[in-house]
Amino acid sequence: MKHTHALFPHHLPPKKITPSTFYFFLFTFHSALENFKTYLKEKAHLTVDEVAELTRELSVKTVGKSDFLLHEGEVCHYSFFVDKGLLRSYTIDEGGKEHIIQFAPENWFITDRSSAYFMEPSQLTIDAIEESTVVFLDNTFMEKARDLSKEFIRYNEKALHNFIRHQQQRINLLLSATAEQRYLDFISLYPDLMLRVPQWMIASYLGLTPESLSRVRKELARKNFKPQ
Amino acid sequence: MTKRNIEIVVPPREPHFVGDGFRVHNFIPGGFRLDMERMDPFIMLDYNSKFYFPPSETPKGVSVHPHRGFETVTIAYKGKVAHHDSFGNSGIIGEGDVQWMTAASGLLHKEYHEENFSKAGGDFQMVQLWVNLPAKDKMSKPKYQAITNADIAKYQLPSNNGTIEIIAGEHRDIKGTAFTFSPVNVLNARLSKNAKETFSFAASYNTVLLVIEGSIKVNDTETVETDHLVLFENDGESFTVEAADNSVVLILSGKPLNETIAAHGPFVMNTRKELMEAFDDYNKGKFGYLEE
Repeated sequence: MKHTHALFPHHLPPKKITPSTFYFFLFTFHSALENFKTYLKEKAHLTVDEVAELTRELSVKTVGKSDFLLHEGEVCHYSFFVDKGLLRSYTIDEGGKEHIIQFAPENWFITDRSSAYFMEPSQLTIDAIEESTVVFLDNTFMEKARDLSKEFIRYNEKALHNFIRHQQQRINLLLSATAEQRYLDFISLYPDLMLRVPQWMIASYLGLTPESLSRVRKELARKNFKPQ
Repeated sequence: MTKRNIEIVVPPREPHFVGDGFRVHNFIPGGFRLDMERMDPFIMLDYNSKFYFPPSETPKGVSVHPHRGFETVTIAYKGKVAHHDSFGNSGIIGEGDVQWMTAASGLLHKEYHEENFSKAGGDFQMVQLWVNLPAKDKMSKPKYQAITNADIAKYQLPSNNGTIEIIAGEHRDIKGTAFTFSPVNVLNARLSKNAKETFSFAASYNTVLLVIEGSIKVNDTETVETDHLVLFENDGESFTVEAADNSVVLILSGKPLNETIAAHGPFVMNTRKELMEAFDDYNKGKFGYLEE
């Protein structure tokens, strides 16, 4: 789901803690880590033994909607891997307006990479748009992974360059692209977010007013809607 | 005909709001043993149990959202709902009426409490059911069947003991009103106290009932209270419902499609590729445009 949608089955309320919920959490913990382990095996090419060694002490947490994972001004000590749910990072300007830097749905990482590396206060705030299950990766994990595997070093270098490529593309789009080009780039990167995130947040990510985003979508519908 | 036994009686789960106008208990697919595969061809059942909405100048409801690949069936027991879609259709359904919307290849719509109902406030009670479409019909043209209560085929029980409304399917050789793409039975049994009726469907059909009002005894043994759902086994055809009070019972029975399901939010397709296409088509405006 939600993200308001007609009778969305997956928009369920937070549950009270009952014995069955407790088992649900255990299961969540297990499956979230399994998902991350698969990610390490497939994307970072780690062996089963390396993955077991690395993930032994990892912390997995369920965070509620609107819960914070990082406040502006704090040093960021973690990289967050989203097993389930949706996180975002953003800055707040002097007028109190939010500017969204990144969305992180399932299988995405989100962090303030420079704050975590240089141990500087972060300019970003990170919070949860939906209730989320998140794997917390600290510097110890990163060091251990680098010591353990050359494959991981290669993977991390590639991830860093991919991150730079993405940032470059984003700066370029914000400086020179039309509203429609920015929107089309957004939907190819995040195919399901139009249904999960309020439009004002997407407008904020794209550097548009909600009215401009609405105009873009209306114009696309005018061009592409062909009733049978 | 062999007896169809009860598999499980499911109490309503904790309610949640869909938009701000529907306070629902989800039974399918979130309920215990009520996942999409088990309930095939029924893929979603949300039940707004009787709930008082105070007067509101601004109608409460659910804002614009898409659907593709299935049908939404809204059954109104109390209150009134208005809807609009991206094809320019609109309508109102009230107590006893049914809106059967074939979303098929896709549309945008929004559903709100009807204006006068919203201003006056009152009890609101509805079911929204999603019926899956066979793969060959998923991309057919969207359409509506606006079924008023007067139009629904009915079987009268002897001695004024009640009415069986045959919204779709068949009961006692009376054909239901709605057109369906696969064999689906949707019945409303409105029974007076002590009235008893037998219902029969092919054993392979997945079958549930939901007690909307009153309390009933199923197969002469199991008492089932208001807002509870009964999932039947697929071990026989027939079961009986006897009203312990004046009761209203929704009965659903459908032939499984036995096709793969790729579902995410408002899109229910057969493959992941089709699902991705649905998102892309929605994002690019191929479902049309509808003002909030």
